[in-house]
Amino acid sequence: MNKTYGVTQISKKILMLLVNVLIALLSLFCLFPVVWMIYSSLKDEPSFLRNLIGLPTSFHFSNYLSAIKTGKMDVAFVNSVLVSVTAVAALVFIAFVAGVVFARYQFRGKTILYTMFLSGMLIPVHSLLIPIFVELKLFTLNNNRFILALVYAAFGLPKAIFLVTSFAATIPREIEEAVIIDGGNTHDIFFKVFLPISKPILSTVIILSFLDAWNEFPFSLVLMGKPELKTLPIALTYFTGQHSVQYTPMMAGLTIATLPVVIVYFLFHKKIMEGMVAGSVKG
Amino acid sequence: MANNKVLQPKKRTLFLYMFPSVVLFLVFTAIPIIMAIYYSLFNWSGGKKKIFLGLGNYSRLLGDSIFGKALLNNFILAACCVVFQVGIAFIIASLICSKGLKLKSFHQFAIFMPVVLAPVVVGFLWKIIYNQDYGLLNFLLHSVGLESWIRPWIDDVDIVMKCITVPIVWQWIGLYVVIFVSAMKNIPEEIFESAALDGAGGIKKAFFITWPMTMDTVKISVILAVSGCMKIFEHIYIITSGGPGTASMVGAMYAYKTSFIKQRFGYGSTISVGIMAVSLTLVLICNVIFGKGKKKYE
Repeated sequence: MNKTYGVTQISKKILMLLVNVLIALLSLFCLFPVVWMIYSSLKDEPSFLRNLIGLPTSFHFSNYLSAIKTGKMDVAFVNSVLVSVTAVAALVFIAFVAGVVFARYQFRGKTILYTMFLSGMLIPVHSLLIPIFVELKLFTLNNNRFILALVYAAFGLPKAIFLVTSFAATIPREIEEAVIIDGGNTHDIFFKVFLPISKPILSTVIILSFLDAWNEFPFSLVLMGKPELKTLPIALTYFTGQHSVQYTPMMAGLTIATLPVVIVYFLFHKKIMEGMVAGSVKG
Repeated sequence: MANNKVLQPKKRTLFLYMFPSVVLFLVFTAIPIIMAIYYSLFNWSGGKKKIFLGLGNYSRLLGDSIFGKALLNNFILAACCVVFQVGIAFIIASLICSKGLKLKSFHQFAIFMPVVLAPVVVGFLWKIIYNQDYGLLNFLLHSVGLESWIRPWIDDVDIVMKCITVPIVWQWIGLYVVIFVSAMKNIPEEIFESAALDGAGGIKKAFFITWPMTMDTVKISVILAVSGCMKIFEHIYIITSGGPGTASMVGAMYAYKTSFIKQRFGYGSTISVGIMAVSLTLVLICNVIFGKGKKKYE
């Protein structure tokens, strides 16, 4: 056991140590701004300006109160919840039925329709900003949370349909046959058979589309003119509007907007990674 | 497939199931594209008066120096994202897959985290980091004695684009790391083992096995990064809103400013259609360069 290590083994060990340190630094670099945001939101303004990275010595939740006042973050939070939940519910239902149809049945124009949906992924959504604004204003449907949710659902469709279709294609045919033999109809196949089987992919669609809707900025900015309808990302822009910026309330505002996302990430990070990889690589 | 007829539902049922998704797509994607192309032919500020210009807006677009600047910035961003985002992500992914690394899943968790953040939040965080007087970056430089490096990062015309690139690479590098890690995990272990028997070291393995075996993933990542960079909007809107002057202007920002700040919906649409055309052309070029592009359904 007293054998001395060979030179190559020592250099290998040093190399591995270096790799470990390097990746650890990178992880720190990715996490730190978020952690910094959260703990800075609990400091008072003078101690923040004195030492930007110092940990808080006492907790100042008053930053949250002034964030709510400046940015109307409470109203914005409710709006974000309403819009995101509606968008996710609409998207998951619509994408489920369409995805299963694409995966299981034949009809004329199917390939064209599917290609059309998939090509939706290539379109830069900002190009749709003006026409959708004009379109909705024409029918005075801007300043409407439900319509904004539908816009988000529409943008989520291509990826969601793709995910559901590739999943539903793997479900064995015998299951459908058994339902038909038992006298069930197509609705039964969809909602009593495919729906429970598709739970894993539907939960992926739910999580990913929630993140997208919660974080969306440009369409909310343009379509929601009324202050009482603004979502969280828009409310954040109120903090810099004034002549002087208060940093710690702003950090509190950013934390309010980010905490739900971070919690969802903590709970479902495996699913989020898998879903995003599948959606982008094969898309 | 003898049972296919029994399983095939009535046409009406299929129509019912497809109806909501098709309507949603038509109303919020297909029709708006056609509308954008239509508006791009007019001089129109949102009111009743619309003056038909034909291709007039487009000939103006070709001579528009701000549009040229914006596209150039988009290209710079795209190039940086391909080199730094995809390139570094590949290296990091191979390091994460190497045997000696501890806490693998923690590192993936940490590096991927910025991907789920709102681009607006990322923009604000980095705006505070870059702030001249109260910014984290200048604070850190000061505390390690590099005062000479301190500068007004995002107010400096010459370096503002470089500063903008960092948060964008920072936010999405994790996506590419995870994409590459999952591609590398699909390489059969036996190939590495037999290479090791033949005396291949880590770097040789990366070059001669990992790189060629993940080539398809690399291609897709490049396309993803390029098309992603053509859409950049929120980071710019929050950090610089295109300034100082037009130093950090990008296509989406210019289209937004022209249409919603200056109320020129006609020319704004022309800019949007222009960006869309350039973006689709870039993706097409990438596909041609890489030969067979993405896998398709069926």
